[in-house]
Order: sequence, then C-alpha cells, then structure tokens
Amino acid sequence: MTTQTKLMTAEELFDMPDDGYHRYELVRGELRTMAPPGAYHGKSATRVGRPLADHVDENNLGEVYIGEIGFRIGSNPDHVRAPDVAFVRREREDEVGETHGYFPGPPDLAIEVISPYDIYREVDEKVQDWLDAGTRMVIVINPRRREVRVHTPLADTVILTPGDTLDGGDVVPGWTIPVSRVFP
Amino acid sequence: MTTQTKLMTAEELFKMPDDNWRYELVRGELRQMPFNGMLHGSTTARILVSLTNYVESKGLGSVYMTGTGFILGRDPDHVRAPDASFVSRDREQDTEFYFEGAPDLVVEVISPDELYFDAEEKIFDWLESGTRMVIVVLLSSEMNNNRYIVKVYRSHKHLRILTEEDTLDGGDVVPGWTMPVKDIFS
Repeated sequence: MTTQTKLMTAEELFDMPDDGYHRYELVRGELRTMAPPGAYHGKSATRVGRPLADHVDENNLGEVYIGEIGFRIGSNPDHVRAPDVAFVRREREDEVGETHGYFPGPPDLAIEVISPYDIYREVDEKVQDWLDAGTRMVIVINPRRREVRVHTPLADTVILTPGDTLDGGDVVPGWTIPVSRVFP
Repeated sequence: MTTQTKLMTAEELFKMPDDNWRYELVRGELRQMPFNGMLHGSTTARILVSLTNYVESKGLGSVYMTGTGFILGRDPDHVRAPDASFVSRDREQDTEFYFEGAPDLVVEVISPDELYFDAEEKIFDWLESGTRMVIVVLLSSEMNNNRYIVKVYRSHKHLRILTEEDTLDGGDVVPGWTMPVKDIFS
C-alpha cells in the first residue's frame, strides 16, 4: 500500500492564514515547518545582509531580500524555498516586474545562517536545491564555528574563517566583507 | 561555583565492561552513541567492502570497521570512533588498544536526524587532528527525494560535494581507489 499525501500548491501556501508563530517552506509539494530563528541567528543575517543591501543599492545591482522571503523554484510539485538573505540581479528583477506572491525563480545569491536545531541533511539538500534551480552562489554561515561556506555551481566549496574575506565574485560584483564582521 | 566533573581517560574507556552500548570520549566526557539503523549499516558496509578490497589488494595499509577508537587528544582524553577508517601502512600501530592519533581517511555516515552543529564538530575533530580526507555520506531516503549527496573534505578550508553522477576518488590518500556515488547508496 502506498500512502497518498495531498500536495500543496504555492498559491495555497501563500494564502495560508498567518498563525503568528510558524514559518513554512514548501518542499516539492510538502509543507515543512521552520523553527523561528534565535537572536544570534538574526544578528549574523543582519550583519551580512545590511552591507550587502547597501552595496547593491549604491551600485544599482538589483534587489536584496532579508528575512526568509519565498522563492518559487519548482512547479508541480510546487517548490518554495526561503533563504535568510537573497539577492536578485537588476535584469532579472526588471524581467519579472512587480510580483504578488512568491518570486518566480531562484535568487542569484542565497544566504543561509545555521541554527542550533538545523538538521545536517536538510542544510545540504537546501544548498543543492538552490544550485539545481540556478542560484549562482549559496553562502552558508555557521555561527558556532565562526565560518562561512561559499558554494558555487561546478566548483569546490570554499570554507572561510575570520581573517578571510568573503567576495561576491561575478554574482555581486565589487562586494566584499571580512568574515570577522559577519559574527557578533 | 564551578562544577567539577571527573574526566575519564582513554585507558578507562577501553577497560569498561561491555554493557551493550557504544561510547565515545569527547574531551574527557563519556558520550553514549545510539545504535545505527539498517540504512546506515548497509551504506557503511558497501563502502567498507569496496575500500577494504582495494586497500588489501594493493597493500596500502589497514581499513577499520565501525566503532574502532582513535585517540585524538590527551588530558582531556579525546577518543572518537568513525563509521569507517583507513590508516596507511607506514603509520600502522601494532596494538590491541585504540590507535594513538588520527586515521588518514575517515568515512562518516550521517543519520537523517543528526544536527548540523554536532556533525560538523565531529568532522572538524578529524580534520584538525590530521585526517587528510573525511568522506561524509548523507543517507538517502524518500524523505529527501532519494537524493544522493556525498561531501569530501580535504582540509578545514575546502570540500567537494558529489551527487548522483559523480565518482568518489581516494586522491593521494588511497591512490587509485574509486567508487561511483550510485554504488554507495544501492
């Protein structure tokens, strides 16, 4: 006997009433609960997100999204993922125009901050989901070890530690931040 | 007020009567390890067979099965036991006790509910103790769309992620050993 799970659509997820408590992702049609992040998590996301937003604004490179905004990276089954910080380049923003609901497609850059209760496998799955969907750089911040991982398609993952500098490369041209500044 | 915990030594761990549990000694503190599930066991076994056959045919060293202890530090004593490991011939130790030092290669199979911070702590314990390659296998199941992910750490600064179509390669640690990622999972 196989179990039939009724899959949810991106529209149903978007229209779900806010219970003021849970946040959700839709992973290939299945609702997945995300625990609200703690204060330390939020600090790292802000410490990297704010200078990124400043740089992107000053150079009119595109848009930065802070705070788990949904990106629809698959349909039927619908797949909606939400990074802590995201960047979409100007050409794609203009192409998409004004949207109601989730951003149609992946961000160019996704930044994830690890929380104490994050499951190992789910972190790597999410990184692969972004890369498979076309995200050109995925940055994973580990506050416990004070390290930053940079994942790009077809290249090895680089692990940066305080003393190193994170570089936006050709994804966010001209943007750099010392890794030591990412951690409170 | 500070709490004084009496720390255990590697020798005390080794002499502990068998109570049917498995333990690691993490910086002097005894840590109980759960038994592995079937998927964890069968995945580890496939890697052990492939690695052992190759290493023995070439006389490169020794392969150790799940639960073999390696002393990564003293005072406090730090004893870890990976899912599979390899020690090159020139570093082999003739002992019934734990190995003093780190293996050259470690395989860690990560269970579906393992936390990110815990798994990374374990991986970096190996890398920072001198292990030259850590192969991290993420168990595959319907829960993750039967996706195959293997991560190969070559240093604390660098790793490579392998997926379905890739082949695992022993590099300069187990020269010539290869295993298609697909064969690890089925």
